[in-house]
Amino acid sequence: MTLKRFFEEARAGRLTGIRCGKCGELAIPPKEFCTGCQDRNWTPVPLTGKGAVTSFTIIRIAPRGRAAEAPYAVAVVKLDEGVSLLGRIVDTPLDTLRTGLPVQFRAIVTGDQTAVGFSPA
Amino acid sequence: MRRVAVIGVGVTKFGRHDRTSTELFAEAAAEAIRDADVAPSAIQALYYGNVTGGEGERQLHMGPLAATLLGLPTIPTTRFENACATSHAAFRHAMMEIASGVSDVVLVGGAERVLNIPTDAATEYFAYCSDASLEQTVGLTFPGVFALIARAHMDKYGTTEEQMAHVAVKNHRHGVLNPKAQFQKEITLDTVLKSAYVADPLKLFDCCPFTDGGAALVLAAEHVARKKPRAVWALASQAASDTMFMHEKRDLSRVMATERAAAAAYRQAGKAPADVDVVELHDCFTIAEIVATEGLGFFEPGTGGVAAERGWTGLGGKIPVNPSGGLKAKGHPIGATGAAQIAEIVTQLRGEAGARQVEGARTGLTHTLGGNTATVLVSLFGRD
Repeated sequence: MTLKRFFEEARAGRLTGIRCGKCGELAIPPKEFCTGCQDRNWTPVPLTGKGAVTSFTIIRIAPRGRAAEAPYAVAVVKLDEGVSLLGRIVDTPLDTLRTGLPVQFRAIVTGDQTAVGFSPA
Repeated sequence: MRRVAVIGVGVTKFGRHDRTSTELFAEAAAEAIRDADVAPSAIQALYYGNVTGGEGERQLHMGPLAATLLGLPTIPTTRFENACATSHAAFRHAMMEIASGVSDVVLVGGAERVLNIPTDAATEYFAYCSDASLEQTVGLTFPGVFALIARAHMDKYGTTEEQMAHVAVKNHRHGVLNPKAQFQKEITLDTVLKSAYVADPLKLFDCCPFTDGGAALVLAAEHVARKKPRAVWALASQAASDTMFMHEKRDLSRVMATERAAAAAYRQAGKAPADVDVVELHDCFTIAEIVATEGLGFFEPGTGGVAAERGWTGLGGKIPVNPSGGLKAKGHPIGATGAAQIAEIVTQLRGEAGARQVEGARTGLTHTLGGNTATVLVSLFGRD
């Protein structure tokens, strides 16, 4: 599964992982060999997009072109299926962020670009 | 494999310069060649490090340019890019060229120039060291990467913002003693704790600065180094990688690549953490120093913050860390940093570090981390 396909699915609101046919490892694409068992037999699997914040930060000094977005929150989210994903946390006041906060995937679409986002569940 | 020594070191003043990065490197390299007391024509190859030259200076193909500006246009060159670990990676490969018998004398180092561009542009270019598809698109920055690590460390071990602030205060105190440092000014805990958040929980004074500067080393095979009384042996140099993705890090409170590179380097040198007298490690952010002192084996996991608070890592402490002022106070020209750290350890082991000398230092360690903790190099150095 390619990155392009992953983002096309994400843009449509569907978060997709890949599962190793040999050891069952779940990963976010793209990836050729399974890091765990070295097999190369992935199957795309739909993910619920539900998870909880593992760690987060509030970015106040943004890269060029993103100053208007700052401050914004970025978090590592552990999904219920066990795989983690980095995303922007949206739709919630920054002072309500905490580790363990339950969140739900939502795509952040800006023109041609799709980014991973999460909002409070 | 043949033994390899560092026989010459050169570092420019770190800070703001109105010269190109390759000019800065050439100055450092000329100083290193003079320090090595070899003829410029003795140099057989250049391993050159730079990260953002293509973006910030519209300059690629920097290896031959650096050699040309140095006045040695015909030596073979290779450019390295390993995010902030760039010139430490170049060092490891230069060392292997000599160890394998291909060359006897090799020049290695790097330079960076970023203060010629606006801060938001430099922040963008540095963020290129994270994955473009999944991480840059959500606006992750370098401080953001280490903020995620800091919060994980705080949650797991109770590390505090005040403990992190102690790292900044200590490295600024050391920087006062280093005439090449970007900042030669002491700061207080209050200065750090009251500075503005950049990426919570990291504040401005938890972060190293943007810096222009260059650093260079002359490496030589044993038969050349034997004639140089100030030569310092490279006992080991190891590289390790980890997944590029923050979401795949096994434990955000640890840097696995540091632990793997350190274990391999100690094994190669036949040394243990307790044998190390002086350390230059990658304090791009205060939390990075705390996590590195744990990963390198100087303190138990989770106790790096306490060690910083109690002064165990200061000059005169249990294990002096970053006598140069570190990236925090000396500055962090990312392409030059690894070579500059090695230059400091060589200076320390020669006993030539002046006011910041770690008395009687015989064994030193350098640790350089690339970007999102996906690249780490650890090297060990010693005198006979």
